[in-house]
Amino acid sequence: MLPTIHTLNILLPFFYIATFAIYFYDFQQGGKKFENSKRLFLFLTLIFHFLYLLLRTIEFNHPPITNVFEIFTVLAFSISFAYFILELVTDIRGTGPFIIIISIIFQVISTLFIQDLTEVKEVLRSNLLGIHVISALIGYSGITISAVYGVLYLILYNEIKLNKFGLIFNRLPSLEILERMSFIAAIIGFVLLTITIIIGIIWLPQAFPNITFADPKLIGTFAVWILYGIGLINKFLGKWRGKKLIILSIIGFCLAILSTMLTNFLGKSFHSFY
Amino acid sequence: MNLLGISINHRTAPVELREALHLSEDEIRKFIQQTKDSAFAEGIIISTCNRTEIYAIPKSDKTSLKDLENLIKNYKSSFEVKDENFQHFISRESIEHLFRVACGIESLLIGDNQIFKQVKDSFLISEEMNFAGVLIRRVMDAATRVGKRAINETTISEGAVTVSYAAVQLVEKIFSNLQKKSALIIGTGETGELAAKHLRDRGIGRLALTNRSFEKAEKLAAELKTAVFPFSNFKEHLHKFDIIVSATSAEGLIITKKDIDEAMKKRNYASMVLMDIAIPRDIDPESKKIDYVFYHDIDSLNIIVEQNLGKRKTEIPKVEKIIQEELDNFFEWYNSLEAAPTIKTLRDYFESVRAEEVEKNINKFSEDDKEKLEIITKRIINKILHHPTIELRKISESDLRAEDTAAKISIIRDLFGLNSKNKENK
Repeated sequence: MLPTIHTLNILLPFFYIATFAIYFYDFQQGGKKFENSKRLFLFLTLIFHFLYLLLRTIEFNHPPITNVFEIFTVLAFSISFAYFILELVTDIRGTGPFIIIISIIFQVISTLFIQDLTEVKEVLRSNLLGIHVISALIGYSGITISAVYGVLYLILYNEIKLNKFGLIFNRLPSLEILERMSFIAAIIGFVLLTITIIIGIIWLPQAFPNITFADPKLIGTFAVWILYGIGLINKFLGKWRGKKLIILSIIGFCLAILSTMLTNFLGKSFHSFY
Repeated sequence: MNLLGISINHRTAPVELREALHLSEDEIRKFIQQTKDSAFAEGIIISTCNRTEIYAIPKSDKTSLKDLENLIKNYKSSFEVKDENFQHFISRESIEHLFRVACGIESLLIGDNQIFKQVKDSFLISEEMNFAGVLIRRVMDAATRVGKRAINETTISEGAVTVSYAAVQLVEKIFSNLQKKSALIIGTGETGELAAKHLRDRGIGRLALTNRSFEKAEKLAAELKTAVFPFSNFKEHLHKFDIIVSATSAEGLIITKKDIDEAMKKRNYASMVLMDIAIPRDIDPESKKIDYVFYHDIDSLNIIVEQNLGKRKTEIPKVEKIIQEELDNFFEWYNSLEAAPTIKTLRDYFESVRAEEVEKNINKFSEDDKEKLEIITKRIINKILHHPTIELRKISESDLRAEDTAAKISIIRDLFGLNSKNKENK
């Protein structure tokens, strides 16, 4: 089984790059030639990725959520999977390359640094932790997708304002749709992040009796959560809209990524996975 | 094939002459009646604001393009039409030109697909007037196929190529659903009216009009079933609209940046689209600096139009390839309408039916009878085909016009499905 896992680990970035290439080509050409085949490409990539995650879980006897590079490959999968569902539900097919490229980044980093890990600390073998990590990953996927649609919104907004009617203008859906998609993804991200935090608060004292809530990762996550909370409340109250909300979503995403990076690569935190 | 064609279009004649030679549906019917009574057996007349085209098959080989020209000259005798105002086509050229017209690559707005419908409507008139025979029907079948293929296989008709459609395209890049949006049209002249109709056709949720002359606005409002505001206080209502189209003939600005600023505050900065399609402009261009205000004037809309026209032009070679394919298909069919190849195809077809049935049932016969079966079935086929063969030879040797011969043979080929058999064999 190990050789299969290693082969898939090497192949996955290439699958994502091939899927990205066909999505990008279709975006650039604007024809209907690859309208369905690009979706099939993405579907097959997701199948292979799911198989890879399943084989790792069986072979190493734990779900791939115990270190940052395992998390990255799951994140790459969940972002593309979330986009796949979004594309199926909305039938908006022009934004694929901008989402899939995020999966490529996470998967390439994971492929380069991931290791065969059979020894896992007992503290990480917990059902509550499993739910905590899964909801966190879906939440982060939501935040990522929200930020990508946010960036696309800002680009299209400026292009229309400046009378630039190029590729972006011709291929992207309307500003209202981009704003709505960013908003829906942000809601999903916020709800899942809330669940993640609640489970974390329940599980943390059980696993680490001496834990302090001044941990940098916890502070970072709370900051992201509060930021999205403020944005969504103002949206529901009808006070904020458009650019303001979208910039907030992008800042939230950057903060989330920054907090994860700093915690795992620089800082000393229980989230460093030892 | 002796199909003659003449065309007066935007390349050959000024707009006044094109307008003068335009034929209404009633005029086309009268014109067809006269043409039928004179020198032409079948044909089609296409007349739009940009072109008048006549394609016809003469009753005699002596009839020329000049006769066709004279028909329209005499019909519209009060207008002076010069020779250089006509384009002339014969045979394959005629059909090729008709195909080019049908798929819009001869149009002033390249790829205009309205012409496709107009060509089909023209054919229906010819059919109703019994002016469309076998050949014209085939030509039109092929022209329809060319038009459909051009739309489906190329992007020749994609993108807005008029300012008013470009405005709608732009609005649809900002709002996802026009049914939930409202629009105010300022100025109910020709441009304003067109914009109002476009928006209504695209399903705008709420439409309102205002105009200096209230009566004029009321008249259009009644036609479009929309609200109307007096021009004196329309600014008080600006904030209620997501789209504002201004097309007045005012000398100066009628909406200032301050007006838009105030409207946006009242709207809590919900997006607003300003389409200033007036010359000189009606709305202060500085308004574009306000957040969520999308201001566009004629120049910016023209950028979209030019880009789309450019893209359509790059599609022309693809459409021309389709035209050549369909032309080849058409003439392959037309050339098969000769007696000798038809007799051979007919005999081959009957022989294949006979051979298939004999093969299926051969084991039911004794060895001695098998040979007899072959002889008898062949004799039956020969007897059945004897008379049609003689008649086909007579047709080819008679003094009939080539088009009449082709028409008769075409019926026989259709009756026995010989055209599809030819394709299967290939």
